[in-house]
Amino acid sequence: MSRWLVLFGKEWMEMTRSYKLLWVPLVFILFGAMQPVTTYFLPDILANAGNLPEGAVISIPLPTAEEVMAKTLEQFGTIGLLVIALSVMGAISAERTSGVTAIVLVKPISHLAYVSAKWAAMLALILIAFAGGFCAAWYYTAALFQGVAWQSSLIAYLLFALWLGFVGSLTLLFSALLRSGAAAAACALGIAAVLAVTASVFPKALAASPGMLPKAASAQFMDAASASHPWLAAAAALLVMAAVLAIAAWAVRRRPTLEA
Amino acid sequence: MAMQNEAVLATVEGISRSFGGTQAVKDISFTLGEGRCTALLGPNGAGKTTTIRMLTGLLVPTAGHIRFRGLKPGADQRAYIGYLPQIPAFHGWMTGAEFLRYAAGLCGIPKREAASRSAELLERVGIGGAGKRRIGGYSGGMKQRLGLAQALIHKPQLLILDEPVSALDPIGRREVMELLGELKRETTILFSTHVLHDAEELCDDVVIMRSGRVAVSGALNDIREGNREPVLLLGVEDTREAREKLGEWLTGLSDACVVAVEHSPGSSSARLYVRNLDEARRYVLRQLNERRLPVTKLEIGYTTLEDLFMKAVGQA
Amino acid sequence: MELTTSQMMTILLPIALIQLALTITALIVCARAEETRGPKWMWVLIILLVNIFGAVLFFIFGRKQA
Repeated sequence: MSRWLVLFGKEWMEMTRSYKLLWVPLVFILFGAMQPVTTYFLPDILANAGNLPEGAVISIPLPTAEEVMAKTLEQFGTIGLLVIALSVMGAISAERTSGVTAIVLVKPISHLAYVSAKWAAMLALILIAFAGGFCAAWYYTAALFQGVAWQSSLIAYLLFALWLGFVGSLTLLFSALLRSGAAAAACALGIAAVLAVTASVFPKALAASPGMLPKAASAQFMDAASASHPWLAAAAALLVMAAVLAIAAWAVRRRPTLEA
Repeated sequence: MAMQNEAVLATVEGISRSFGGTQAVKDISFTLGEGRCTALLGPNGAGKTTTIRMLTGLLVPTAGHIRFRGLKPGADQRAYIGYLPQIPAFHGWMTGAEFLRYAAGLCGIPKREAASRSAELLERVGIGGAGKRRIGGYSGGMKQRLGLAQALIHKPQLLILDEPVSALDPIGRREVMELLGELKRETTILFSTHVLHDAEELCDDVVIMRSGRVAVSGALNDIREGNREPVLLLGVEDTREAREKLGEWLTGLSDACVVAVEHSPGSSSARLYVRNLDEARRYVLRQLNERRLPVTKLEIGYTTLEDLFMKAVGQA
Repeated sequence: MELTTSQMMTILLPIALIQLALTITALIVCARAEETRGPKWMWVLIILLVNIFGAVLFFIFGRKQA
């Protein structure tokens, strides 16, 4: 355990020194805040655009607070995922390429500890950043539209955070399997897209797909919330994450360094 | 072998390793005696790094075993090993001292002891002043020293160093060699090099590798003694006539006491490997006189380790 | 729901401040880096001109890890 803490401590220090622990949450907060704000000011923005014909009346129905929150999650599902995948993609492959694994993995540590410390640090980053972004969205929605029930918000937060963590774990897996970080990010994002699309096309058949998670999170803000059972998908995501850790540890053990 | 009556720390039994279709290491065996310093010697591409990586556990042999004393075959040997890769890489954003404390932590050394050992080792490898600077700004020589320090952090029973001095400048090389000389008294060392001189300076045992196989191995002194052959070095005047005469004589040369002749056609010098030195000397002097060869040099001596090394790793 | 100017300020100011913080962090990191991937002045321009994403791009692609 103490060795795991040493590994985790190194990951944490790296996130601080590289300012990741600062900029990723800031980006999430900005996107969380901007969604409700731009939605609110959209009619004004359009009116001031100035290239509208004389006498045209813009009538955009003001969305409900719940719709705004669901829309914000959609934002996190694209830009948020991109930021996470890009900032995690090199976690293992870059260390292998640089050659530092030849020193670290010769020390008497378990390969699973090496991988899981990285995974835990990534999860902490995601939880912090998404909490910031989600709170900003929640606050601005309450200020400009209406308050949203905190119970359903909390469930939505947890479900969506799990989705982000799931995709982050996939990125970590491909970072252990592939040489290139960019390829790792692309693979993880590709799988995430396929899962999300298939889950929305076949919601019945794929009720247990982790791809249901973003949909289920948004659904918390709709009345249809009770209709879906996201727990199966959540359990599946957790199971896959555990498997991902085991496979990544195996991959690191099998190929600790690049051969000449 | 001389080390047979000493404790064996590690035994390499017929290990092989191939990458794709090419076999980098082919069925090699040797032992590492406890407290001894062994050089893994050979030209570039002989399979030294691959062998070392298999000893560290970074690579799994495709065949064969490596046994460590007190460990089951295949058991995790990493706690007993300190390893310095050929080109050590670190986290550039850490300071030297931070990296050493990190390495210590990975070996399960408690914080307080980790800090004191790190400071001590930084001094010992000669970069005490740079401990608080980021590794990103270190020179190659400093990284090599930091690499050595991290390999020593948990007082390993076996120190494995991959080409520890070949990337250093002459002064750095001298200093690291002296440090290794000190370490030799504390622990078992295996280091690879392509320079015979480094091996001769430090080692008790050598394992000479050539294209993935062990060419010669054993205690350095035994090898030196066992392979000492008398040799005659002969030189004639550098004129065409003299060179032709020498060539003629050497091609027709047949005497029981001359084992082999090394002479490239058209050259004015030759090496004669002989059996009985006295007899050979008399024979050669007589012949030279009879044939009126314009001799400029006749040296009588013994083959050196370098001759053996060149023969062992040569293309022949 | 009509907003007064001061209400508007309390809504927009925090966002502007966070964005400023992000930009300034990126600029400081860029200035202090020994080396960046590509010329430094180019990254300064990207950070300043490309809204939000300029800083993100710099943090992900601009820095060289030794």
